[in-house]
This record gives sequence, structure tokens and C-alpha cells, in this order.
Amino acid sequence: MEASVSAAVSVSLLAMSVIFMVLTILIFTIKVLVKLIPYQSSPAAPARKIVGSSTPGQDDQVAAITASLAAHMGKRPDEFRIVNIQSR
Amino acid sequence: MEFSFSSSASKIAHSTAFTSLESGDVLMIGVACLLVYLAIWKKFEPLLLLPMGFGCLLANVPMSMMASTDSGGLLNFFYQGIKHEVLPPIIFMGVGALTDFGPLLANPTTLLLGAAAQIGVYMTLIGAVFLGFNMQEASAIGIIGGADGPTSIFLASKLAPHLLAPIAVAAYSYMSLVPLIQPPIMRLLTTEKERKIKMEQLKPISQTVKIIFPVAVTIVCCLMLPGVTPLLGMFMLGNMFRESGVTARLYETAETHLINIVTIFLALAVGSSMTADSFLRLETLKIIVLGLLAFSFATAGGVIFGRIMCKVSGGKVNPLIGSAGVSAVPMAARVSQKVGSEEDSSNFLLMHAMGPNVAGVIGSAVAAGVFLSLFGDVGSSIDTHAALAPVIGNPEPGMQAIATVVEAIKQ
Repeated sequence: MEASVSAAVSVSLLAMSVIFMVLTILIFTIKVLVKLIPYQSSPAAPARKIVGSSTPGQDDQVAAITASLAAHMGKRPDEFRIVNIQSR
Repeated sequence: MEFSFSSSASKIAHSTAFTSLESGDVLMIGVACLLVYLAIWKKFEPLLLLPMGFGCLLANVPMSMMASTDSGGLLNFFYQGIKHEVLPPIIFMGVGALTDFGPLLANPTTLLLGAAAQIGVYMTLIGAVFLGFNMQEASAIGIIGGADGPTSIFLASKLAPHLLAPIAVAAYSYMSLVPLIQPPIMRLLTTEKERKIKMEQLKPISQTVKIIFPVAVTIVCCLMLPGVTPLLGMFMLGNMFRESGVTARLYETAETHLINIVTIFLALAVGSSMTADSFLRLETLKIIVLGLLAFSFATAGGVIFGRIMCKVSGGKVNPLIGSAGVSAVPMAARVSQKVGSEEDSSNFLLMHAMGPNVAGVIGSAVAAGVFLSLFGDVGSSIDTHAALAPVIGNPEPGMQAIATVVEAIKQ
């Protein structure tokens, strides 16, 4: 092919047009896809039950844990307080 | 066999490569050492320039049979991977596995920045023709402006294989210099107010869209420009490995071991093509100069189009992300972030710049496809036996032997 500057300019204009056309088609494709398939956030993980203070049904459990910890740490049960129990 | 100490010593002395060493070889060994130095001490794309420089060193040792043209030599085998378009597409598969299209999908108009940055390719094409290169050569040189090593090698091997070495060296050298080349141009073409623009948070994208996108790109681009299918198809396949979520092993292999192995082969093969005959020419100097122009024009094109998008969007687009349209993933996006944060340290442009950055990869591949459509031999069938003959010898006798055995079993 003849290699002249005018031919190079013509090729450049043609090629840039093709690139913009192809990428514009892709833009519309993406917009259609995003419209048809919107993002849906994954369902939130079930909240853990956090017990701030012992409920009536847990009193005996708190007492048992307190006693065990007191024995383990060598302290009296009234020297510390269990403030939070999380169920797993 | 008659043996004497003097005759044996003389024979060994004559068999050393020193006797065949020419000034061109010495100069090329110097170039090889320079590449190794730049890779190790200046950290210029060390993953590529180190094996490339060492390949160049090996190729320029006389009688070593390590040049790409030495039929039967070790690096000649690696070079077949470039000649037959095997290695660059595999690298692209790894790049695809490493690429997250999320920012691009969240803001698809940034694809236009990837298109605008290709202006560097075409300004260089015009410059190369002006300097006396023919259209095929000028196209192979122009694609340096795409700032994409595998695409440059792919196109050069198809349109101007004799210029492969200087084109590959220029492409990878300037890619490593992106943090030095781009910032002055970005500051020159934007105002302080524009550089401080903060962009909106990107919206999350459905995983299904991320899976469908590579298929859509493959269908659209490869149908329009079939010549680019090896590159773009493998790029999208790598991305499918990543996004599908069902090919974890393939994804991990593509993004780590495979791309690393093929990078070694590719860089050594390119280095092996850097012989005195092919490299020590005036054309090499011209290509080095044109490569710099290519990167500069590509950056300017992206930034100017970024300014246009800024005006059209009512100031919602920071023009600095336009410079990331020159591919060079992810370095160009990091430069956008750096220049933006220099004006306002609370401005985070990195994710916004990743959109045009990956758009630049697609844009440069499309630009290569246009060149192949215009100047390549797209669609021509390849004689497999002829193509394999230099690598494995004539495969016909082997095929005949198999046919004979099958016939014998039948009887």
C-alpha cells in the first residue's frame, strides 16, 4: 500500500472511527446488561443474639460460668462481673 | 587419533567465540548489560527487561546458537511462540485473569477514554510514515502508543517482524517510564480546579453482568475485527476464569504460574531477536523517538477527552482519569491517583481510573485489530505442516507411520 502522509491520516481517521464505534456498542451493551440484571446485595447475615445482661433463663448459666472463672483466676465471684454472653 | 598438546590447544583456542566476536556483537552485549542494569537497579519493568536483556546477551555470543534466527537453537524454539502468535495471547489470558472489569462496568462511558487515548497510536503512525516507514511498519510502530507489550509484539510479529526487537524494547521501556512521562502532560492540560474534582462512588455490579460481559465483548469485537480474536478472545477467557467462580484452579494458574512461565519465554525470545543486524540500525533510533511521542500523544488524547467528558457531565468527571486510557495496567491508573492526590490528598481516583485503564487494553486490542484488517492477512488459512516444520521437522512421516499402524491393527 502506498505510504504517504495523506494515506496515513485517512487510515487514522477511519481507524479512530471504528474504535469509537466498537467501544460505543460495548457501552450500550453494558448499559443494557446493567439495566436488565441490576445488582442485588447479598442477604444480610443473621444478627447474632447479644445479651447485654443475663436474662432469667440464663441466670444459672451465668452463675456456673462465674463460679468456674473465679476458681480458675483465684478471685472471689464478686470481684468481677460477666457483662456479655454471645450465643454462637 | 593423533594427539599433541600444541595442536589441541590451538584447536580449543580457535573454537572459542572470541575469534568470531565482531564490533556489533560487543555493542549489543553492552545494550544487553544496559537492559539488565535498568531492570535491576532502576526497576524498569524488571519482569520483562531482565529476561529480555539476558536473552539479548545470549543471542550476541557468537557461535552460541542462541539468536532467534539460529534454526535448532534453544531460543529459536521459544521464538516460534512469537512467530506463530502463541505467547502474546497466553500472556493476555493471564492479564484477563488479573483484570477486574467492575470499575468499567460501573461507569461504562469511561470506555470512551480508552478509545480517545488511542490517538497516540495514530499520531505515531503518521509520524512513522513521515519518517519513511511503510504502512505495515508504521502500524507496528504506532501500536507502541497502546502501551500494551503483548499487543505490540503480536502486531509487530505479524506486520513487521524485522522490527520486533526495537518495538518490544521501546514499548516496555516507555511503559516503565509512564510515571515520569505522564504527570507533566497531565498537569499541563488540566487546571487545578479540574484536578481537584471528586468523583462519585462507583455502584456495585451484579456478578452475572461480570460473567456475561467477557462473552459480549468477544462476540462484538471478534465479529467486527476477527484478526484480534487470539488476543481479545484469550483476554476474555482469562477473565471468565476469574469471574465464573467455578474454575478457581484455572484462574489461579492463569494469573500466576502460567503468565510467569510464558513471560520468561516471551521476553527471552524477544531478547534473542536483538542481534546487531536487527538492532543497530537507524530505524531503531527512529522507533525509540516515535515511541516516546506515542506515549505522550496517548496521554494527551486521554486527558483532553477527559476534559470534554468533564464539561459534558457538568464537572462530574476528573480529567486526570483520561490519562489511564493508555492501558499500561495498573501503572497508568496509579499515576492518575498520584497526580490527583497531590492536589487534594482526600481525593481517591484509583478505582475511577481503573475503568479507562482496562478500557485502554480493549481499545489497543481493537486498534491492533483495525491494523490487521487493513494490512494483515486475516482469515487466510495456515498450512499447519509448513508452520510446524521448523519446530518439529516434517510431521508427514510421523502421520504416515500412525496411518500404517492403524491399518495394520484393522487387518
